[in-house]
Amino acid sequence: MTENQTETGSNAAESASGSLDIGGLAGVFGTSDHKNIGRLYIFFGLSGGLLALILNIFVRFERINIGSVGILDFGSSNQFFQTWSLSRTTLLFFCVLPLLIGLASYIVPLQVGAPSLSFPRAAALAFWAWAIGIMIHVVTVFTDGGLGEPDPISQFAQGMDPDATELSMLSIAMVVFALLLGTVCVLATIISQRPQGMTLFELPLFSWSMLIAGGIWVLALPVWLSNLAVSWVDFQGADALRYGAVENIWDQLSWLWSQPMIFAFAIPVLGIAGDVLPVSLEVPQRKYKVQQIAIGAMGALSFGAFAQPFFNPDVANQAVFVVMGILIVLPILVFLGGLVDTAFRGNLSLSAHLILSVVGVLALLVAAVVSAFHVSGPAVGAVQELNDSWLDGLISWLRDVQGTVLATAVMEHALIASVIGIIAGLYFWAPKIFGYQLNRNVGILSALTLLGGLALSGGSNIINGILDEGDEVYHSSAYEGVWDTNAVEFFNIVGAIGSLLLLAGVGLVILDLTISVILRKGNEENAKDPWGGHTLEWATDSPPPTGNFTDAPVVDNERPLLFPAVTGGDKQ
Amino acid sequence: MNMATTNLPAAPPVRSRNILVSVGFGIAAVLMYFGGLFGVYLRERSQVRSVGGSWIPDKARIELTPPGMIIWTLLISVAVMQWAVYSIKRDDRQHALLAVGTTLAMGAMVLVQHGWQLSQMNLVADEGPTTAATLIYTIVGSYMVAFVIGMIFVALMGFRALAGQYSSRQTDGIVAASLYWYCLVFIYFIIWIAVFIAK
Repeated sequence: MTENQTETGSNAAESASGSLDIGGLAGVFGTSDHKNIGRLYIFFGLSGGLLALILNIFVRFERINIGSVGILDFGSSNQFFQTWSLSRTTLLFFCVLPLLIGLASYIVPLQVGAPSLSFPRAAALAFWAWAIGIMIHVVTVFTDGGLGEPDPISQFAQGMDPDATELSMLSIAMVVFALLLGTVCVLATIISQRPQGMTLFELPLFSWSMLIAGGIWVLALPVWLSNLAVSWVDFQGADALRYGAVENIWDQLSWLWSQPMIFAFAIPVLGIAGDVLPVSLEVPQRKYKVQQIAIGAMGALSFGAFAQPFFNPDVANQAVFVVMGILIVLPILVFLGGLVDTAFRGNLSLSAHLILSVVGVLALLVAAVVSAFHVSGPAVGAVQELNDSWLDGLISWLRDVQGTVLATAVMEHALIASVIGIIAGLYFWAPKIFGYQLNRNVGILSALTLLGGLALSGGSNIINGILDEGDEVYHSSAYEGVWDTNAVEFFNIVGAIGSLLLLAGVGLVILDLTISVILRKGNEENAKDPWGGHTLEWATDSPPPTGNFTDAPVVDNERPLLFPAVTGGDKQ
Repeated sequence: MNMATTNLPAAPPVRSRNILVSVGFGIAAVLMYFGGLFGVYLRERSQVRSVGGSWIPDKARIELTPPGMIIWTLLISVAVMQWAVYSIKRDDRQHALLAVGTTLAMGAMVLVQHGWQLSQMNLVADEGPTTAATLIYTIVGSYMVAFVIGMIFVALMGFRALAGQYSSRQTDGIVAASLYWYCLVFIYFIIWIAVFIAK
């Protein structure tokens, strides 16, 4: 790896600024500029989001019956689970994580007053390794690979190709390794490139949330890679014994999409909202350190590498897991309280990024509440000395819902909250990233569409979870043992409509980006600081020149543009 | 050209700790990776043993001489690597490079001993694959990969020192390489105890 020698102050004076110029093909394929890398992540990440949501719609349609006939038949459980698992891997690794790392790659160096990302060539390597890896992974799944399926091994002969499956495992390992490398570049920038006077407690909330979230990813994703390594080594043998058997691979890896770990991928939603709301309301964020502590607490409560049901089947009944699942609500409530407190003192004017960030935080809160409900069986069981028959029934029911689509509802709310938060960040930072504002009305329409989509899609999963619809099961057995088949079928249709709305919401954002940025129809007036920003990224041109700043400024508070460190340093 | 940033006062240049910070995160990631492997290994081993089963295949041979030699080699390499740090902090580049070269030679010895041990263990030849063999091969194989990365890192930092990039005023690269090396020694210490001694 090389240190950031490529973009320095001397180069900065020679470069063009204030216009979107990515430098042609050489700028795309040969760049180590954090701004181009960030844009590339955002472009590919939104494309990945479309793919993930289309796959999610296929999975939804598979569960819909008209009369007694399903409207979409995958042909075999194998193909269903390949699609099902790919919809999850793409949503996380092809959409949420790259979008977060892309946004952070662009914004974090600006927020901390750095000339570039730490190790810019390593960051470029990470991006291209990720892009190549995720494309190989998607192709392998469509060629009968994938990360296994939960049915018995006899299904293997129905379609899964061992070579493609092995390549699926290797490619997803490459993807995670690349994302880790990209994360480390962001973290190193935050830790070591802050300007004089900016302590960690003066970091802008988005950078702070990326520090917390990235730290959790760096600690948890290697554990996931170790699971994958064990599976891959076992898969090499003539006969996989346990870890590499196709019916076991996904079970070893699924903890990444389960609580509490899934919340680690939604932590930056709070950071984005914490940066967007005070600026939109034209007031400083109240109780700044409390907000930072809330984000830190959410990080601590979302570390889930220990919660691996494959190796510890009893984990859902263990105190640490249950307590973490319930307490995760608190930091989000505290953070929301801080936002509300700030909002009461501000001037409310509805903007797309304001609405999107509020929707993102609320979606995350719903995810946390459903998570608390999902794990609460053993907690209620702890007060079993009441010895009431109805209480026993309640405990039994709460334990039963743990194997249902309620788990999917938690995952869906957390990851879609993250997507909504990222879109809020895109609308907020679009002038800085692209030099153009995105269309406010389209943004608000997108926010409402995503909110409606999540309410229908996630809400239907919550209700069907309560009605005992099984998770990770193929069509033929999905309705076994449910309380009311008609109700479950109805809510599966509702959920499919919700999935379509989610796709439409993300599609609207891509359409807006295309028209506003690629076709250059967006508003470029006052692009340098259209919202009256509080943090350092708004102190330089939009898009910033190479090197970002002529000199790193002195900072002594978390709102350096609102309260400059030295008298006379008025914001331009 | 209009650079048009803010009027905020300029800060004096701050010495970047990029490489130390990044290696710190890298070490955390490597420790968690092996932590995950050890967790699986010890849990699976205890489950097999709790029902009276034999964890290591009966015909496998896990002798203690090679791991013993490896751990001693690595422990000596810790002192040698620290010698490199000591020397570079005193601008004694000649001894620093000698220490880096000696560390790499010891690393090569460790790889050779690993390879020889793996060829002698007979983990799968007679009894076919077992879960123990899968996990031991994963742990040792992953360690060898991490170790080769460590050797490349130490060599790269050595070349940078040779080129004059590191001196008493800037020791971060050599210090970072040494920290990663100590991390590797620590991990092998766990492998030595959990896999080879405890069996």
